[in-house]
Amino acid sequence: MEKLLKELQHAELHRQTRRHFLQSAGFGLGALGLGSLLGSCGSSKAGEVAANSESLAAGGIPQFAPKAKRVIYIHMAGAPSQLELFDYKPELVKYHGKDCPAEFLEGKKFAFIQGVPKMLGPQGKFAQYGQSGAWLSDYLPYLQTVADELTFLKAMHTDQFNHAPAQLLLHTGSPRLGRPSLGAWAVYGLGSENRNLPGFIVLASGGRQPDAGKSVYGSGFLPSVYQGVQCRTGGDPVLYVTDPNGMNRNIRKKTIEAINEINRQTYEEVQDPEILTRISQYEMAFRMQMSVPEVMDVAREPQFILDMYGVKAGEGSFGMNCLLARKLIENDVRFVQLFDWGWDGHGTNATDNVEGGLRSKCQISDKPIAALIKDLKMRGLLEETLVVFGAEFGRTPMQENRNGVVMPYMGRDHHLEAYTMWMAGGGVKQGYSHGETDELGYYGVKDRVHVHDLQATILHLMGFDHEKFTYPFQGRNFRLTDTEGKVVKQVIA
Amino acid sequence: MQTRFLIGLVVVAVPVMYFSFAGVPWGKKVDYNADVKPILNKHCMGCHGGVKKAGDVSFLFEHEMLEPGKSGKIPVVRGDADASEMIRRILTDDPDEKMPKNGTPLNEKEIGILKDWINEGAEWETHWAYKKIERPDVPSLNGFSNLFGLLNTGDKAWARNEIDHFVAKKLKDEGLKTSPEADRATLLRRVSLDITGLPPTEKEVQDFENDKSPDAYEKVVDKLLKSPAYGEKWTSMWMDLARYADTKGYESDGGRTMWRYRDYVVKSFNEDKPFDRFTIEQLAGDLLPEKKDGFPVEQNVIATGFHRNTMTNNEGGTDDEEFRTAALIDRVNTTWEVWQGTTFACIQCHSHPYDPIPHDEYYKYAAFFNNSRDEDVWDEWPKLRFYKGEDSVRVERVKDWVKKYAPAELEAKTQFMKVVEPKINAHNFVKGDQSTVLVISYYGVKDKGNARIPQVNLTGADNVLMNIGTRAENAVLTLHLDKLDGPVLSTIKVPMRDTVIVAPITKTSGKHDIYLSLHSPKAPEEWVRITWAAFQKALPGAGQPGYEQIVSDYATALTRPTESMPVLWEGKGDFARKTNVFVRGNWMVKGPEVKPDVPKLLAPMPKDASRDRLGLAKWIVSRDNALTGRVIVNRFWEQLFGRGIVETVEDFGSQGAEPSHPELLDWLAVSFMEDYQWSVKKLLKTIVMSATYRQDSRSDEHRKEKDPYNVWLSRGPRVRLSAEQVRDQALACSGLISNKMYGPSVMPPQPDKIWQSPYSGESWVVSAGEDKYRRGVYTYWKRTAPYPSMTTFDAPSREFCQSRRIITNTPLQALVTLNDPVYLEAAEKLASKMQTRGKTPEQQLKEGYRLLTFKPIEQKSLNVLMKVYKDALSEYRQKPSEVDSILVYGKEKSPELAALTVSANVLLNLDNVVTKE
Repeated sequence: MEKLLKELQHAELHRQTRRHFLQSAGFGLGALGLGSLLGSCGSSKAGEVAANSESLAAGGIPQFAPKAKRVIYIHMAGAPSQLELFDYKPELVKYHGKDCPAEFLEGKKFAFIQGVPKMLGPQGKFAQYGQSGAWLSDYLPYLQTVADELTFLKAMHTDQFNHAPAQLLLHTGSPRLGRPSLGAWAVYGLGSENRNLPGFIVLASGGRQPDAGKSVYGSGFLPSVYQGVQCRTGGDPVLYVTDPNGMNRNIRKKTIEAINEINRQTYEEVQDPEILTRISQYEMAFRMQMSVPEVMDVAREPQFILDMYGVKAGEGSFGMNCLLARKLIENDVRFVQLFDWGWDGHGTNATDNVEGGLRSKCQISDKPIAALIKDLKMRGLLEETLVVFGAEFGRTPMQENRNGVVMPYMGRDHHLEAYTMWMAGGGVKQGYSHGETDELGYYGVKDRVHVHDLQATILHLMGFDHEKFTYPFQGRNFRLTDTEGKVVKQVIA
Repeated sequence: MQTRFLIGLVVVAVPVMYFSFAGVPWGKKVDYNADVKPILNKHCMGCHGGVKKAGDVSFLFEHEMLEPGKSGKIPVVRGDADASEMIRRILTDDPDEKMPKNGTPLNEKEIGILKDWINEGAEWETHWAYKKIERPDVPSLNGFSNLFGLLNTGDKAWARNEIDHFVAKKLKDEGLKTSPEADRATLLRRVSLDITGLPPTEKEVQDFENDKSPDAYEKVVDKLLKSPAYGEKWTSMWMDLARYADTKGYESDGGRTMWRYRDYVVKSFNEDKPFDRFTIEQLAGDLLPEKKDGFPVEQNVIATGFHRNTMTNNEGGTDDEEFRTAALIDRVNTTWEVWQGTTFACIQCHSHPYDPIPHDEYYKYAAFFNNSRDEDVWDEWPKLRFYKGEDSVRVERVKDWVKKYAPAELEAKTQFMKVVEPKINAHNFVKGDQSTVLVISYYGVKDKGNARIPQVNLTGADNVLMNIGTRAENAVLTLHLDKLDGPVLSTIKVPMRDTVIVAPITKTSGKHDIYLSLHSPKAPEEWVRITWAAFQKALPGAGQPGYEQIVSDYATALTRPTESMPVLWEGKGDFARKTNVFVRGNWMVKGPEVKPDVPKLLAPMPKDASRDRLGLAKWIVSRDNALTGRVIVNRFWEQLFGRGIVETVEDFGSQGAEPSHPELLDWLAVSFMEDYQWSVKKLLKTIVMSATYRQDSRSDEHRKEKDPYNVWLSRGPRVRLSAEQVRDQALACSGLISNKMYGPSVMPPQPDKIWQSPYSGESWVVSAGEDKYRRGVYTYWKRTAPYPSMTTFDAPSREFCQSRRIITNTPLQALVTLNDPVYLEAAEKLASKMQTRGKTPEQQLKEGYRLLTFKPIEQKSLNVLMKVYKDALSEYRQKPSEVDSILVYGKEKSPELAALTVSANVLLNLDNVVTKE
């Protein structure tokens, strides 16, 4: 069912790697050091149009002037509780400890809740912050300081109640494997503006990968050159990017020159254009060996910046990934995807809950997120950089009772009817809140936003009409939002 | 002579070479498949096809286009374009009526074709791939020149077998020429990599170069086909189709034991098992008649692992039935993709958008697979158990006993010991008080709790078998008939660890609900865990001396944690399932019930065929199946040439690519099925013996211009090596490779932190000794985190069947072969080998090049290598500490070896080394 690579992709690759090089071979090898992987359609065309980054979009894709030229997407894998952080529900306090009303349970399916659970009052203390009066809890003392930069989407909803399919739906528009992710679409459509770095970079923290694995940043049926490249925070940032011990840069440079020189001789002999691609990819590999570790190294960042993010040089963490995200954006990487694992507060143990466990996850992440927004703003990058924060779903207003038993800690089950996300920069309103949930926070009652609507909106901010931004596959034009999605115009500045 | 030939051609060609302002050239009848169908697919079928039937009009089936739509008008009136509503709606200027609605209007030429077609009678034609495969005539290569017997040169002399006749004819049509045969070293490297996945040895190359006999090449090919490495190479291909992996997939992606299936595939290829038999074993090996002690031959059951490579979801809260259904759907889609080259997946939700396959035929086909006993349970039952040592003795004792006292019972008892079926998985129990399905498919009951097993057929049963355990002391489970307080069927003292218990039940007959109630006052909060239950006849010979021992042997064998692997096992009688259409593909919305059948698009099943997987498998490989032969020969062709005769190897439908050489495809398919009796070795031999295959792969301006992708085969294949080959070649040429075959998958070194799947304590433990250097086909395959250098070189994750690996060319690949320790170790070993073969650096570098390409190096390339060697040497002489850093695999530490290692690193990265030329 999931044929990730099909005829059209094949044709696309041919077009890019072969025909392109056939055509541009005449320009000499210097112009060929472009790299279809990193460059995407954008930079593989850059030989022709490098001067104007606005025109890097893949040919024929309808586009208008983007407000967000770059995206940092922060995904808290596991799904934090909106009821502890963003969605203030004083009524829920009154219901705390009471049986869940029957209408919330009839015909519903939960991942773990069984029978009749009790309602669980909010565990955080809420107050209003900033001129916009945004409600935030005491779990997020730093985010309070940038509240006026944010647009909240308080009535998000999704269709999937398990992590992997819900993450896939959020990032690829489909709960099943095989579709391209948002970042892949972005790089496919807009190209990359940096010759030495991948256009779509993924950073993960929290000790584990997102539940749905690489597919949440995969290229699906788009050519594999558009997939997200994960930079690791321990070991080599990109696999095998470091020269082996005992092979210094000088020798490595000479080996690559030798490889390319002999390959050039082979090309003269056999005339296979694929050899020209290989030559350019070895040049790119060599440049990546320098540029990737460089951009991933924070040693030259001033101490006050490190303090602002709350990180130490040499230590991988979510905070470090926020700082790296800023560095990557500064280096014109198109799409930076952050994943942090460990937000699945069921109440099963001392870390997975919505009390102490959630508080400590916030302590690790709140400061650097606020720092990232301030840092981007300080550098004048926020205006054209869209920051998105959220998860695959929300959490229930009921306390989880797995297998019908009260959990040892306060916990909430997966909830798909209503949850909160926020966005900042990149053309969204500042200090705005969109959507409302009912008094218990169970359903969205005003301005609900489905994940497909969110995708349509992000694409819109990047300058794409989500209904026209398609790719032909298996005889059909596919788009990120499948057959759904409406742009949430109210959040656009 | 050449001129005369050309003149002849022109004269013949003139009558058809002229233009018509609209439609098809005058004098030529419109061809439905070539001319009409593409227009319908492009402009019409989106709204009037398998998905939508706007205005009740569709062009999917012949009868539909002739029936009036909602307006009462007939879309296509045969012989009368002007009376056809279709044409009127295309031509009208009324924007409300104009077709295509909101789409690009048809151009003059397209309208002309449709009108001509209708006026000529609107003949409907089956798509080429669904027509029965007939043996085509082999084109003659006798040009005018040869007619006079004056010459025996050109294509006729070049051709070596029928393949070349088809190819040469096309080349002539396309204005291209054949290429001469590649030099012997290149040819041997090519054919060795293609047949065995490994490069030749130096000696093999020398022998071949020195063998001047006319059948030198054929001898080499025969030898390669006999090599055990042959099976390993083709298994690599088959693993992508079988979506083979060593893990279950989905989120937790825990391990699964599946390697015996992989070994079965290696052995099957090596013994050249006829492909029809190979197919039947994999799809229905459990249903084949060959039996021992009433149980199918073990290899046939192992073969059914093919369709147990579907994923199993162990995530909490998931509905096992949903994912059982997902596995069923995957089996249907995979079977269609692998053998029929058809994207069947879309028919799951609606009729095929473009090809005439209606929605319900999907579920009729699914019904063949819907009776296998797997139900997405955590421990993946049914599994084939492999008893060893004492356990195997126990099993034999039970079998001997049953043979003696009730031979008719042997089949049931052997089957239960081998696959533990039929049984009721505990997730089918109905919840009562203090009980629930625990997170992963187990059933849990607490003190004073109860549950119900619905509608168990108790006729003939006098025992209950149950896999049950608890940590509570003195827990007692009571089974009641029909009601919670109904008659007691049996009383079971719950064991303190997971055990298969055998307990007598009161005899009764018919179908009954069975109520379980638990009394466990000592530890009321402890769960009693039940995995499955079965109701069956007691072992025969009760009362005979030794009976208790036999019962104990039976229970012990079933309890023991033997090695086991998931297999298909057919549910019969009460365990057979009904199949319904899923409305719009939704498994929860059941439409009408359907019976197993094959789509009408293809030849029907024979009347006497069994309507089960075995009957289906036989139908797939029957001579009348229009797709199987074509699809399979095309797969093998693609492996050798890097491109199929039908480029979309996974899609032979009307949306797929047209075959470049349709007659050749059919000739190969008929030869494969009839002449070679499905022998893959004979098929491969025919292909590699052809002059087409043996051509030099060098291109030139003309060829690049006329045929950049080598569709018409005017040169030999030049294709980057596969992920497995890149690795295997580096290990082979440096002398590191292990030729150990079979067994559990191995874990060669990989970077830390590749494995980070949630909820699993499993880790990558680097294999010891030669297992580090096994061929790529034996590398442990984890779906959520496959071996990184494999995926970098385009291997799929194997979550689903994948027909083609699209070859990419990325800097990440360069980083692997430059910096992955596997390739550095190979470089150091290669450098040592080079040292022993030459005295001077120049000789050593020449040797290194020859060890990888089997050809002498050109002087200008040698100069480049000498330069990098000298530069490296002077660096290492200046910084001796770096010598110790780079040389970490062997004993010798010298600046010379370090510089040679760097040079070997260069060699292993050369284009003509990572490419099959």
